[in-house]
Amino acid sequence: MFKMLFTKSSSLILALLIFIVSVLVGCSSDSGSSTDVETAGGEWDGQIVKVQLIGDFSIEDSTDPITGEKTAGLSILKEEFEKQYQGATVEFILMPWEGYTEKTQAMLTSGEADVYQMPGIADFAPQGLLEPLQPYIETDSEFSTDIFIDQQVEGWKALGPDSNELEIFGLPFFGDARFITYDKKLFDDWGVEYLSEYPTMEEVREKAAKMTGINPVTGEQNYGTWFRGDWSSAFTLLNAAEGLGGKWGSGFAWEDVSFEFNSPEMLESLNWMLEMQKLAPEGIVSNQGNEKWMTKENNIAIMLNTGPGELVQQTYAQGLEDRIAIAQEFKNEEGKGGLFAGSPITIGKSSENKELAWEWLKFATSDFAQQYFYETGAAFPSVKSALEWESVKKYEDLLGPVFKAMETPYTPRYHWAAAQPRFILTSEIESALTGKRSAKEALDKAQKESTEWLESR
Amino acid sequence: MAKNHMEINANSDTITGVKLTRLKNKRSQLVWYIFLIPSFLGILLFMVYPIFESLRLSFYQSNGTIENFNGLNNFKTVLTSGPFWNSVWNTFYIGIFQILITIPLGFIFATLINSTPRGQSFFKVIYFLPNVTSIVAAAIIFAFVLHPEMGIVNYALEAVGLPTPKWLADPSTSKWAVILLAVWHWIGFVIIICLANLQAISPDMYEAAKIDGASGIQQWLFITIPNMAGTFAFLLITGWIGALQRFNEVYVLGGPNGSPARSIQTMGAFIYERGFTGFEFGVASAATYIMFMIILVFTFLNLKISKMKL
Repeated sequence: MFKMLFTKSSSLILALLIFIVSVLVGCSSDSGSSTDVETAGGEWDGQIVKVQLIGDFSIEDSTDPITGEKTAGLSILKEEFEKQYQGATVEFILMPWEGYTEKTQAMLTSGEADVYQMPGIADFAPQGLLEPLQPYIETDSEFSTDIFIDQQVEGWKALGPDSNELEIFGLPFFGDARFITYDKKLFDDWGVEYLSEYPTMEEVREKAAKMTGINPVTGEQNYGTWFRGDWSSAFTLLNAAEGLGGKWGSGFAWEDVSFEFNSPEMLESLNWMLEMQKLAPEGIVSNQGNEKWMTKENNIAIMLNTGPGELVQQTYAQGLEDRIAIAQEFKNEEGKGGLFAGSPITIGKSSENKELAWEWLKFATSDFAQQYFYETGAAFPSVKSALEWESVKKYEDLLGPVFKAMETPYTPRYHWAAAQPRFILTSEIESALTGKRSAKEALDKAQKESTEWLESR
Repeated sequence: MAKNHMEINANSDTITGVKLTRLKNKRSQLVWYIFLIPSFLGILLFMVYPIFESLRLSFYQSNGTIENFNGLNNFKTVLTSGPFWNSVWNTFYIGIFQILITIPLGFIFATLINSTPRGQSFFKVIYFLPNVTSIVAAAIIFAFVLHPEMGIVNYALEAVGLPTPKWLADPSTSKWAVILLAVWHWIGFVIIICLANLQAISPDMYEAAKIDGASGIQQWLFITIPNMAGTFAFLLITGWIGALQRFNEVYVLGGPNGSPARSIQTMGAFIYERGFTGFEFGVASAATYIMFMIILVFTFLNLKISKMKL
């Protein structure tokens, strides 16, 4: 058998094949880019920047199978960057959102990329895996952090392994915000005045109560409000508490963190959520009851804690441009409130091409790249200049308040939201919403368990 | 003399032939070992190594990069954690009812299908279909089926005047939503296994019983059921192992913390929550080993109870 497999002639053929493959692999180009490197002969000659991106991206152009609309691929960014930085090569490493934290951790540990999209910056910066960006910002006269929407740079600051103060490890890359969305048609049907730009909890409660019942025009059952009672319920609660002047707690480094989950403001807010639950359809703790939202048959007047996601696309696809409106979340005395979210972009400490990586960071936050990401529906921009783009101006009624919301989230952000305290708090809010415990008992339990968790770290 | 010499030569030829054959056999075996190397390496790398790495991690406080030796503290954290024991309770609750309902029900269906003169294959296919459906996809559909206001189940219950539960929106009924899904998904497998056993029972036994005047129910009780013992034991053990490892459907229906209020968080989900959403790999590894011990003890008990030989 062994002999049959390895006769002289077959061994020769095998050796020849290995030789041919080795020669071909050795002489072939890498993703069609080395040709550019060889011929470019620019300042960045032969340097490669490896960029990790999270989300539904594609290198090549793609066509939506349902709408038939074409979406430009990331190759546009690659071409533009390589044109601007002669001799440089960009390589993308794409990953889905599913399990991005553990994948990012593995990539960072093995130094697989130079640049990372990094929502979990607060976890990675203390591990010493990220490059501090302040020196680059200070020495680069072409660059200014003023280009970013207010609060965005501040919000992504994190603690390094040896620092006691928050530092810049990432530039705002993709923007995000939380706000209150409402259906003007239901307000009109019920004869209720639209929400004010900065509504209070009382205003929302009062108006939601008026719009719960049988719609006087359509005869359909309407609900005053809806909010997720499970996954994001902690953020709804925190925002309400912020509206009352409360906060989640204080500290950034784990040893300095202390929670205030059972403060009077938090208790009042949870009781408010319990009242709001009565004005919502059944199933908010299982993310159900909102199936008609963003359709013409919508039966919910006020949607709490919403994000920009595909707001514009969905609104216009459903023909709801005259119905959907946005109000800000609850703000504290400083005008801040609500979840700070999005994605920053960072440089890995182990990167061998840090200078080029910094150039990529500048490119990724330039109008060219930001507009590409926004117009392909991949992400929301993080730069102020976006307000001047035609593609944003066209939807100013909807997007204006979203940009405003991005300027006023609660900072420093809830960096503990990727750890146990968030799950403890969420579970206890669910306990209160399902009647398993009273609001006070639930918050006391959340406070006790979160503090114990902190102490056992 | 010459004859003897020839015999000796023939004998040595035979011995050499035997030796050659053995050598060829050995070489042939060696080749097969070479073919086994890729899968063996895969098992070593993706199964054996993680098992030992997980054991090591269970003694460390680790976020994947920074590690500090933590002794037995992770085990202490898990064993004194309310949510962990809640997840153990949920896992057993869902598992017990899934098994208690599915095995008898599947056996009854299998008996009915077996006694049907026509359309056996059709019923086999129909009942087995859920089992080949992805549990993730099935869980998403079940969330709609059990919707408190728009779900078909509550619509049917309301139509016959019965109370309509909130299912996944209420901690007191959410476990039953998972049990329903688990029963629906597993019953096809139980039916097929039971059918295979039913068809292997000799018809002579039933014929002899008929001659002795045994009724249909008596035949079922005294011939069919005793002959099914091995199958029941097999289903009991495999069912328990699967139930104790439950993760996919509860993750889809309730997220990593088993919403609402951790009511459907299983041991697998607890491990995922601590390991992959909170970066507490040491705690998650310790919980994995505790779960392993629970499954080991429980499987041992199952083997003893069912008198099944390994």
